[in-house]
Amino acid sequence: MTNKQSLLTVSASPHLHSPVTTTTIMSDVLIALTPALIWACYVFGMRSLYITLVCVASCIGFEWLYEFILKKPFTITDLSAAVTGVLLAFNLPVTIPMWMPVAGSFFAIVIVKQLFGGIGRNVLNPALAARVFMFSWPSDMNHFVTPVKDRYHGFLLPKAEEGMDAVSAATPLSYLKEGRIPADAENGYTTLDLFIGNVPGVIGEVSALLLTIGFIYLLIRKVTTWHIPVAFIGTVALLTLVFPKGTAAVPFMWNQLFSGGLFLGAMFMANDYATSPVTGNGKLLYGVGCGLITVFIRYFGSGAEGVSYSILVMNLLVFYIDRLTKPVRFGGKKHAKQ
Amino acid sequence: MPYTFRGGIHVDEHKNTKKSQIRRMPAPAEVFIPMNQHIGVPCKPVVAVGETVARGQVIGVVEAGLGCPVHASVSGVVKEILVKHDAQGRDLQTIVIENDGLNTLCPDIKPFEKALTETSAEEIVEVIRAAGLCGMGGAGFPSYMKLQGAIGKADKLIINGAECEPFLSADHRLLLENPAAVINGAKILLKALAITDAVIAVEDNKLDAANKLEELLVDDDMIKVRVLKTKYPQGDERQLIYVLTGKQLQAGQLPADAGCVIFNVETCAAIYNAFAHGMPIIERTVTVDGDAVAMPKNVLVPIGTRLSDVIEFCGGFKKEPAKIVNGGPMMGRAVHDLNAPVTKTTAGILAFSAKFAKTRSEHYQCIRCGKCVEACPMHLMPLYLASFGRKDDLDQCMEYDIMSCVECGCCTYTCPGQVPIVQQIQIAKGKIREKQAAEKAAQKEAKK
Repeated sequence: MTNKQSLLTVSASPHLHSPVTTTTIMSDVLIALTPALIWACYVFGMRSLYITLVCVASCIGFEWLYEFILKKPFTITDLSAAVTGVLLAFNLPVTIPMWMPVAGSFFAIVIVKQLFGGIGRNVLNPALAARVFMFSWPSDMNHFVTPVKDRYHGFLLPKAEEGMDAVSAATPLSYLKEGRIPADAENGYTTLDLFIGNVPGVIGEVSALLLTIGFIYLLIRKVTTWHIPVAFIGTVALLTLVFPKGTAAVPFMWNQLFSGGLFLGAMFMANDYATSPVTGNGKLLYGVGCGLITVFIRYFGSGAEGVSYSILVMNLLVFYIDRLTKPVRFGGKKHAKQ
Repeated sequence: MPYTFRGGIHVDEHKNTKKSQIRRMPAPAEVFIPMNQHIGVPCKPVVAVGETVARGQVIGVVEAGLGCPVHASVSGVVKEILVKHDAQGRDLQTIVIENDGLNTLCPDIKPFEKALTETSAEEIVEVIRAAGLCGMGGAGFPSYMKLQGAIGKADKLIINGAECEPFLSADHRLLLENPAAVINGAKILLKALAITDAVIAVEDNKLDAANKLEELLVDDDMIKVRVLKTKYPQGDERQLIYVLTGKQLQAGQLPADAGCVIFNVETCAAIYNAFAHGMPIIERTVTVDGDAVAMPKNVLVPIGTRLSDVIEFCGGFKKEPAKIVNGGPMMGRAVHDLNAPVTKTTAGILAFSAKFAKTRSEHYQCIRCGKCVEACPMHLMPLYLASFGRKDDLDQCMEYDIMSCVECGCCTYTCPGQVPIVQQIQIAKGKIREKQAAEKAAQKEAKK
C-alpha cells in the first residue's frame, strides 16, 4: 500500500459530479428535434433531411477548422455545433440552393459563436443570426412550396428553376397580416392544418404539435424550463386575443400561435442557454419581451414574421435582465428585519 | 413550516453502509494524536517521551486561550513527539503512543457524581470542555464554546441528524443503535441552556431512526423529532434553521442570532458519555466506504489511528485506489497520504477507484444553463461569481454577494460544463479577504 501513495489523486471537493454534461444535454436537444425533422421529410420531401445534414456537417466542420487553425481545444464532441446546424436547417425553406446552408453555417459558427469566445459566450443565437444574414438573398429565403403536394426528394434542385415560381405558396402569416383567417382563403389552411404542420413554411417550424412533443421531452429531462416558452407564447396569445385584426378574435389568436416560427422560436431558439437569462424571473421577462416584439413586427412591420428578430433583440438584453432579476440572497433584504 | 429549502441538489445517496452495525476496531499498535484537531488554540503536550500513559489520560492541554484538551486513545508508552501532517495536509505537533495492548483505563475517568437537576450550567460547560468535545459533524467547533455562547441567547436546541452527505451513515447507525445516548445528551444540553425546546432533525431516508426516536420520546414534551426532505445540503446550519424555524440567517450571523444552537447527533451522544461514564473523546464513528474498499462498514475508531489501519480493518482495497477522501464526498478533502491519522472530526473515509475519481476536463466551458442558479441554496448566481472571480473583478463579486457563499459545492456538482465553480469562488473570496485585511491595516496605519 505504501508504494501507491504517490498515485493518489488530490483535488478539491466536491468529489461527486452530476452525470449530466453538455454533451448529454445537446443529445437530448437533438432527440427533441427529431420528430419535427421526420415530419419535414414527409411534408417537404427528403431534401429536408439533406439540408439538415449539410448544415450539421458544415457547422461541425467549421467549428473544427476554426479550432484547428487557432490551436484551441476541440469542442465538437459537445454536440452544440450539431444543434446549431439542425436549428439553422429548420429555419430554411426546402428549395434553398445547397451552397447557402454552408454559407449560413460559416456565419453561425465562425462569426457569431467562435469569434465571441465559443460556446456559452455568444451574444446572439447563432442559427437565428445566420438566418437573418441569409435574408441577404431574400428570394431564396422566402420561397415556400405547397406541403405534401410539392415534395423535393433530390439532393439538388430540379433543373427547371424557373418553373418554381409557379408552385410558390403564400404562408398563413401573410393572410393573418391582412387580418384574414387562412382557412377563409382559397385553398386555405385550417387551424388543425396549422397545428399539425400541413402548411407552407421553413423546414422545421410548421408542426406546432411535434415541436411541443419535443419540448415536453426536454422538460421531462430537465434540460430546459417552462418559463420562456410560456411567457413568449402566452404574451402573443394575450395580445392577439385582445387586439385582433379582423372580427374573429379567438380563431385569429389560434392561427397566430400556430403560424410561422413561434413554437420553434419559443421552445428551441429563445431558450438557448447562452443567449437567455439564467434566473426564473429573468426568463419570464425575456419571454414577455420576445412576445411583445413578435406581435409588433407581425402587426406593423414590413415582413410577415417577427419571431427571429424579436429573439435577437432580446438576446442583446440578457446580461441586463440577469442583473435586474438577481435573486434575493438567502437571508437578504426580505429577512433582514427578523 | 417548510419541509425543505429552495435550491440544493438530489445526489445519489450511496448509503451502502446504512445496514452495517457500528463495529469497534481493535486499537492499532501505534496511534498518532495531533495536538490541534479543530478550531482553537493548539494544545501543548503534558507528557514526555518514554512516559507511560493510560487510556483517557490527558496528554495535551491548552495553556492560554480557547480550546480543549486532548486525551490518549490507547494505553502505552509515549514513543515520540514529532511534527507530522494530518489528513488536511497541515503540519502539526503529534504525540505517538505505542499501544501496550493492556487497555488500562485512566483512574481519573469516573461518572459525573451530581444529579443533573443539581448541576449548574457552568459545571456542564466544564465537563464538556474537559472531555475535549468538538463538533463531530465535520466543522469541529469546540462544543463548550458553542454552548457557552448560546446560554441565554438560544431558545431552541437543534440536534443535527440530517447527515446529508452521500455515503456517510454513521449518524444514522448511532440513532438506531444508541438513540438513548443522543436523547440524554440533548437533555443535558437543555439543562445547561435552561430551555425546554429541542428538535432532533433527520432526513426522510432515515425514517427507521426517526420512528425509533419517536417511540422513545413518546412521553417527552421537550424533545421533538422532525423529518426533513432528503436533499443536499440539508444539514447545513443555515438551511436547518430555516426549515425548522422559518428564519433565514444573514451573512455573518450565527445560529444564536436566530435563537438556535445546533449540535451534531454524535457530539450529543459524546456529551452523554462524558457525564455517564466520564469518558473523554478518544474514539469516534467513521463510515468507511467507496468502491475501492473491500468491506465497507461503520467503524468505531480510536483517535489517532492511521487511515491505512482503518482501511486494513475493512479488508483493505479491492481495487486500486485513485482518490481517498477524508469526510463526505461533497465537502470532504482528498488526502495525499494514508499515514494521516483519524481525528475528532473525521466522519468518513472514502476510497474511490479511478472510475469514480475521474478528474474533470481542464477545458471547462460555462454554457449558461442556469443549473447552478437553481441549485444554489443561498440563492446566488454562481456562474457570475465564478466568471467575475476568474477575471479578478472583486467589486462585481461583492455586488453579486460572493461572501454569502457557503461553499457547499452544489453548483459544481450540477455544472454540465464542468466548471470548477466553487473552487473559483473560494479563490475569489480569499482574494477579497486579503484585500479587506490590507485595507484595514492601511486604515490603522493612517490613524497613527
